[in-house]
Amino acid sequence: MTTTLFDNSRVSELRLQQAALPWRRRTANFRVAVAIAVIVPPVIVGLLWFLTSIPKPILMLVIYLPLQLIASAIAAWSQRGTKAVLDSAIIVCAIGATIFSFVILISVLWSIVSNGVHALSWAFLFQNNVYISPSTPLGYGGVGNAILGTIMVVVIASLFAVPLGIATAVYITEVRGKAVPYVRFLVQAMSGVPSVVAGLFILTVFILTGVLQSSGFAAGLAYAILMLPTVARTAEEVLKLIPDDLRTGALALGSTRARVVMKVVLPAAKTGLITAAILGIARVVGETAPLLLTALSNDQTVLNPFNQPITALPAYIFSNVAQPYPDAVTRAWGAALVLVILVAILFTITRVLTAKRVRR
Amino acid sequence: MSSAEFENIATLEDEFTESPEVTPERQVEMSAHDISIWFNKRKVLEGVNIEFPKRTVTALIGPSGCGKSTFLRTLNRLHELIPGAALAGEIRYEGKDIYAPEVDPVLIRLAIGMVFQKPNPFPSMTIRGNVLAGLKLSGMKRPNHDDIVEETLTAAGLWTEVKDRLNHEAGSLSGGQQQRLVIARALAVNPHVLLMDEPCSALDPASTLKVEETIRQLSKDITIIIVTHNMQQAVRVADYTAFFLAAEGEPGHIVEQGPTTDIFGNPQDQRTLDYVNGRFG
Amino acid sequence: MVQTAPPEVRDLSSSVSSHKGDRVFNRVITGAAFTALIVLAGITVFLGAQTVPVLHSQGLSFLTTTVWNPTATPAQYGILGMLYGSLLLAVIALVIAVPASLLLSVFMVFMAPKKVATVMTNVVDLMAAIPSVILGLWAFYVLNPAAVEWQKLLNQYLGWFPLFKNDSGNFLGTPFIAGFVLAVMMIPIVTSVTREVLGRTPPELINASEALGCSMWTMLRYVAIPFGRGGIVGGIMLGLGRALGETIAVFFVLKLVFNINFFHIIQSGGGSVATLIVSQFGESSGNPETQALLAAGFFLFAGTLLVNILANLIVRRTGRIQS
Repeated sequence: MTTTLFDNSRVSELRLQQAALPWRRRTANFRVAVAIAVIVPPVIVGLLWFLTSIPKPILMLVIYLPLQLIASAIAAWSQRGTKAVLDSAIIVCAIGATIFSFVILISVLWSIVSNGVHALSWAFLFQNNVYISPSTPLGYGGVGNAILGTIMVVVIASLFAVPLGIATAVYITEVRGKAVPYVRFLVQAMSGVPSVVAGLFILTVFILTGVLQSSGFAAGLAYAILMLPTVARTAEEVLKLIPDDLRTGALALGSTRARVVMKVVLPAAKTGLITAAILGIARVVGETAPLLLTALSNDQTVLNPFNQPITALPAYIFSNVAQPYPDAVTRAWGAALVLVILVAILFTITRVLTAKRVRR
Repeated sequence: MSSAEFENIATLEDEFTESPEVTPERQVEMSAHDISIWFNKRKVLEGVNIEFPKRTVTALIGPSGCGKSTFLRTLNRLHELIPGAALAGEIRYEGKDIYAPEVDPVLIRLAIGMVFQKPNPFPSMTIRGNVLAGLKLSGMKRPNHDDIVEETLTAAGLWTEVKDRLNHEAGSLSGGQQQRLVIARALAVNPHVLLMDEPCSALDPASTLKVEETIRQLSKDITIIIVTHNMQQAVRVADYTAFFLAAEGEPGHIVEQGPTTDIFGNPQDQRTLDYVNGRFG
Repeated sequence: MVQTAPPEVRDLSSSVSSHKGDRVFNRVITGAAFTALIVLAGITVFLGAQTVPVLHSQGLSFLTTTVWNPTATPAQYGILGMLYGSLLLAVIALVIAVPASLLLSVFMVFMAPKKVATVMTNVVDLMAAIPSVILGLWAFYVLNPAAVEWQKLLNQYLGWFPLFKNDSGNFLGTPFIAGFVLAVMMIPIVTSVTREVLGRTPPELINASEALGCSMWTMLRYVAIPFGRGGIVGGIMLGLGRALGETIAVFFVLKLVFNINFFHIIQSGGGSVATLIVSQFGESSGNPETQALLAAGFFLFAGTLLVNILANLIVRRTGRIQS
């Protein structure tokens, strides 16, 4: 087969194509085309929005989206040729998906804040729920017992999940035994255990057998199952960042492997390990299903993790949603706000810690 | 001491007669006998025989990849931390094979300290904590920690610079200071041998001179084995020099060894002559 | 020097932990590292043990019928509707979440200016951090009214299409709404994986395709997507695993019915194994029904474990090719 490499017409055609595709160069023409594509469809749809009674979802999905796609395609085609048409479609859809997620996130956050703020008061934060029924007006009763319950369950879960998770990470990065791939695999498989199954497991093993009562401790065990994979995987990432120089340096000083880990590697990774623990807590703090199965609920303030049912925040929200009493529903929103603030605090701490580590 | 070793020393003495530093009383601290080293199936070093007399500085020179750093790491059993590492031959310390099954590598590393290419102070500890880290990590008991800190930091030439901020974090020191800090850290456990793997390659010229001065001072008390790419440095600090070389695709070996003055002033092998004159490597 | 026989070769890697203290330490750590195994095996054994008597009394009808009647004699338990419902919800969620996540991650990796991409990363992380009970609360009070409007319009204009049929006029508690909530949960999970996978496309390849005058579409089609295909599929399956196991968010917005709702996704009523467990547990009439719920939990566990393992195998295989 013969190919004419230097066919003149082909070369000039290529030149033309190149001229038509000014990568990254933005001419005035281009800006005008983009501006028209960005402004015209929303204006048309905006007019329809106010002047006609076409239902809004139809307006957005059936009229605006195709209109925007066509406008962008024309703008792209006029500036960069047919190749750019699909690109413009991707850009429009991607921006659409972004706006979609933004709208949902803001809708969720705004509904929590705007509804929850009515419930907030000192009484709500500190009182428990004894003598409170769904119809009791706001201003009486609150999530004090549920906040305590959440703290208790999370602390119990951390007592198990944090040491075991870090030990798992140490096995993978420091001991480097033969089973490393299997351990990694199992941890990942464990991260897929549904929260309701974790609750059922603790229920069968400890509660149905009578070893434990429905209690904070039982719920803590269920939370620990969900928390451990997060802690182990984050801790593994953190320990991997510790330079090998430190390990060899310590070994060269006549240290045993165990001392290298305990006195050099883990202290050097301290902030990262705290981050791992907090991420684990943030992962489980909103889990509801295990609580319903293992801790039930309790209007009283409970301090003993072993002998009686206990309410934590997610369970409090659960029991107040879908009640026919507006005040109960407002309480649910208030508890949701408290929970979201709790999660936000946890995430802020991890961000601050991570930023500090990066700076160093 | 076995008669074979006496013979070895005798041979050494024959070779070293020109060196004014060599006296008949010199004893061998460490020695390597027919050492070959593998990573998995790849042989990186072959048939190395060398002796390190007590209280001397020996420089290991040679182009990159000739196995000299690997050899250094076999001397205190750090080589075995790499998966797939294997070794043939014997490394003797005080006349005994350090790879014998009953030997605890941890104790070997305690007696044979090491300083690395990049300064590696422990970031979670203070300057003082770093100096004493070896004691803490090895579980060794030595009284008067304050004296140890002052002594070793002085020996490492760092005392005057840091004596007012012993409780600051080690990360606040400059690279050269950090390197001298890890030298002090290595000295605090009282090693008899100090291995140095290109200790100055990450340092500026001023810090390099300070570290070299430290090495000269230390060699009055302990045996030092130093890997260096810097020929002038070898001339400045080392009593003896060994030249390592690896042909393309072959394991490395020692081409020539002897008093530094001989290796640099009157090399017997053409390749040594080329290398010390900077014609390759 | 006299050459004697070559010295014996000694394998050194085995002598790493020859120190006594280290052996103890290694044993403790190794033991702890197998917690995951113990938990997974424990779940399999204990929930599996509860499944045996249920299968014994119900036979295969536990998996093939749709009747749940604890008060009948003998009691009847069939979770087929729930199993099918879980799958239907997952499919709806995938249809919404997968395109959205892919577009989001493509936008974040290849299009958005760095600052915008950082903001979006945080938005996605925030979405992932919202507890499911709160999403359920939001879905019940905020999404429900809006979704009812959407569904009515769908039914009005596309009602002739079986998927969008609604005979009852009740647009609440539909599989569509539950699937939509699951999609909202899946989007951050899938996006964060696909973003990472696409971000690992070698810049040389991207530059090369740009130098050839490829458009964004061709670059994605022929470079980025083939390169990250395994990771993307794995990420989607991780999200799927989460969707199958989600309990509480679905609980609030799905009307649980035991009969199978095959594909009328905007008609009230559907199923979900995870939700069944929580909704029946509170009023479960004692041991036999609780046992049936535990058995349902076992099948839920087996299903999600399978999906999750497959997902991880796929992700890992891509990772290996890349490295």
